[in-house]
Amino acid sequence: MDQLENIARSYFQAPWRKQLQIIALFLLGLVIIALVAGVYLSISARATAVGRDIQKMQREISNLDKVNESLQSDLAKILSSSHMEARARTLGFIETPPDQIVYLKVPGYVERQSVILAPSSDRNVVRAISMPPEYTESLFEWVYRQARDWIASISEEKP
Amino acid sequence: MKEREKSRRYSILGAFLSIFPFIIFLRMASIQVNPDIVRKMQEIGDAFTNPLLTLTPARGQIFDRRGNLLAGNRKVYEVGVELQDVENPTTIAQTVSALLGVDYEDALYVASLESSDSMVYSPLTNNVTEEEIEKLKVIIEQMGAVYTGKRDENTPSLNGLVFSPRLGRIYPEEALASNILGFVNRMGEGFYGVEGRFDSLLKGMSKVVRSSNDPNRAEEMPSVPDGASLVLTIDREIQRAMERIIDDAVAETSSDSGTLVVVNPRTGEVIAMATTPRMDLNQFWKVDEIFTNETPYNRAVSQSYEPGSVFKVLTMASGLDSGAVTPETVFVDTGAIEIGGTIIYNWNQVAWGPQDMQGCMQHSLNVCLAWISTQIGSDAFYQYLSGFGIGHVTGIDLDGEASGRLKEPGDNDWYAADLGTNAFGQGVAATPIQMAVSISAIANDGVMMAPQIVKSVVSEGYQHHIDQRVLGMPIKAETARILSEMLANSLETESSDALVTGYRIAGKTGTAEIPTPFGYTSNETNASFVGWGPVDDPRFLIYVWLEKPGTSQWGSVVAAPVFQRAAEELVVLLNLPPDAIRKKLARD
Repeated sequence: MDQLENIARSYFQAPWRKQLQIIALFLLGLVIIALVAGVYLSISARATAVGRDIQKMQREISNLDKVNESLQSDLAKILSSSHMEARARTLGFIETPPDQIVYLKVPGYVERQSVILAPSSDRNVVRAISMPPEYTESLFEWVYRQARDWIASISEEKP
Repeated sequence: MKEREKSRRYSILGAFLSIFPFIIFLRMASIQVNPDIVRKMQEIGDAFTNPLLTLTPARGQIFDRRGNLLAGNRKVYEVGVELQDVENPTTIAQTVSALLGVDYEDALYVASLESSDSMVYSPLTNNVTEEEIEKLKVIIEQMGAVYTGKRDENTPSLNGLVFSPRLGRIYPEEALASNILGFVNRMGEGFYGVEGRFDSLLKGMSKVVRSSNDPNRAEEMPSVPDGASLVLTIDREIQRAMERIIDDAVAETSSDSGTLVVVNPRTGEVIAMATTPRMDLNQFWKVDEIFTNETPYNRAVSQSYEPGSVFKVLTMASGLDSGAVTPETVFVDTGAIEIGGTIIYNWNQVAWGPQDMQGCMQHSLNVCLAWISTQIGSDAFYQYLSGFGIGHVTGIDLDGEASGRLKEPGDNDWYAADLGTNAFGQGVAATPIQMAVSISAIANDGVMMAPQIVKSVVSEGYQHHIDQRVLGMPIKAETARILSEMLANSLETESSDALVTGYRIAGKTGTAEIPTPFGYTSNETNASFVGWGPVDDPRFLIYVWLEKPGTSQWGSVVAAPVFQRAAEELVVLLNLPPDAIRKKLARD
């Protein structure tokens, strides 16, 4: 028994073993720091890349808005009255003399109305809640709501 | 050297050297605790990392009643110089001068400016199109590729030349309805017409936000709602037809100018408003070349004139409504009448003998109408004219409306003779839109609708319809119908050039002498015609004014045919069948 204790004591107290322990601990710390730093770097690099993407997309949205406006105007230019008249004449159309116009009564025909570009502000718009509460409430609120519903259902079941 | 002395010197050197970090520390501490310095440093830092960004909403579009785009936006560029980066101002000036048409001297001056704390950038030109920028990019690229290696101040370089996109105004229909639309200048400010009147509404609200260049602090940009879009009451096809007709009329009659207004008397909606001159709105900078010598931008609303005999419609309406006369009242025309010491004659200086009220209108007798005004009485007569809106702005949604002038008893410059002369449209000034609106009361059973140009406003996803307003009811419905009948019969009896085959039209010609500083001494006239139809269900009222026609001075000769041409095209474009067919279709 004593012999075993001696071996353990001598092994435990050997200087090189102590140094090895310190080095191992230091290296372990270094590895942990390196791992944390690596994870941090990776996450922050990805966040930065996403941030850059967001900034790039914001510029792209702004540019596309401008391009969209330009395209609308280009289309309007192509459909302008002078262009359309020129194209119609090229295709061989001529203006109808008033005495050649034939008027017909078409049942159900509705006279051409002025343009509607958006819903009328006169209408009563029913605003329905489209997002379920689960998407907005906290965990505590969800638990509270479940408990309240459960108590309510139990009380309803009682005669 | 003794050890002690050596140590003392080291101590002094150490103390001396430690002063620097101490000063640095003090400075750091003072920066950190002094709020003024903190704020200033924060501002300097923010300027680099979080610059202020102005979010400018897209200017609202303008449509006609059918949804055709009349004013939109397009991507344009501002070209300028980053002054600290400029290497060769001459190259920049030559390039922008040749490619973008910028004045060489101006460009050279701007590119040669020294950069300073207060100025690091200076614009050269704006409204540069995408195509021009593409050409510029090619030149910059080629120049960068050719002139490489060692550089000196004479090396051609476009360094410092920059361009940034923004939205600029475009008018796809060019000059169409230019007098109604107005225009937007390079600074984005609206002038004249709808652009001027609704500038702030179209422009929307800009927002200044602090953006971040740091990608780790990238945030969603706040959205800025676009400016409101407008839907006008005008119809593009009708407007185009009316502009063509008035242009032809001005050329054929050698007139100084022409104005043609089409309104719906039932609603007050302006369907077309054509005046001369007009301009391509995409070249708005030519406005001073086209509208010279105080030429109004839109004569229909901004130029008042003495309308002459078309004004007799209002006098007769007042006479009939007040009961001073009836259609059967007979007036014996002796060719002259004295009112307030002034003798008034007929247009042809002839006595027309006994005339009923229809005859007075048909032959446009000044003497008869002046007599009617005396029968009404000055107070009642001017009350009626005021009720018709003469002397007041109509409130039309356009910039620069003139009120005209109606002298009334009690005014310093009103004389008793004015009662007689005003009765036939002399000594009173009104704009074409005022005349059209006031006479529309006769076409619309005595109800005078406010003229309307903007039909609805589209803002934040909703279309807000503008309510039609009643301006007043100056006469009774019965009076209006009687007068319409009288005027329709007058045109038919005299086989007027204004008649339109298949449609019953009511109307009145007008020829007015133009006042000069020495009285009505000039041979020049203003020729007008007002007419509406179909008489039993009026859908349009057309007002024509030709200023100083050269071929004939008479409204019946030059203005009535213009009305006829306009009405003939209008009924087709409005899908309005001839009266007989319309009544037959209604019966079936």
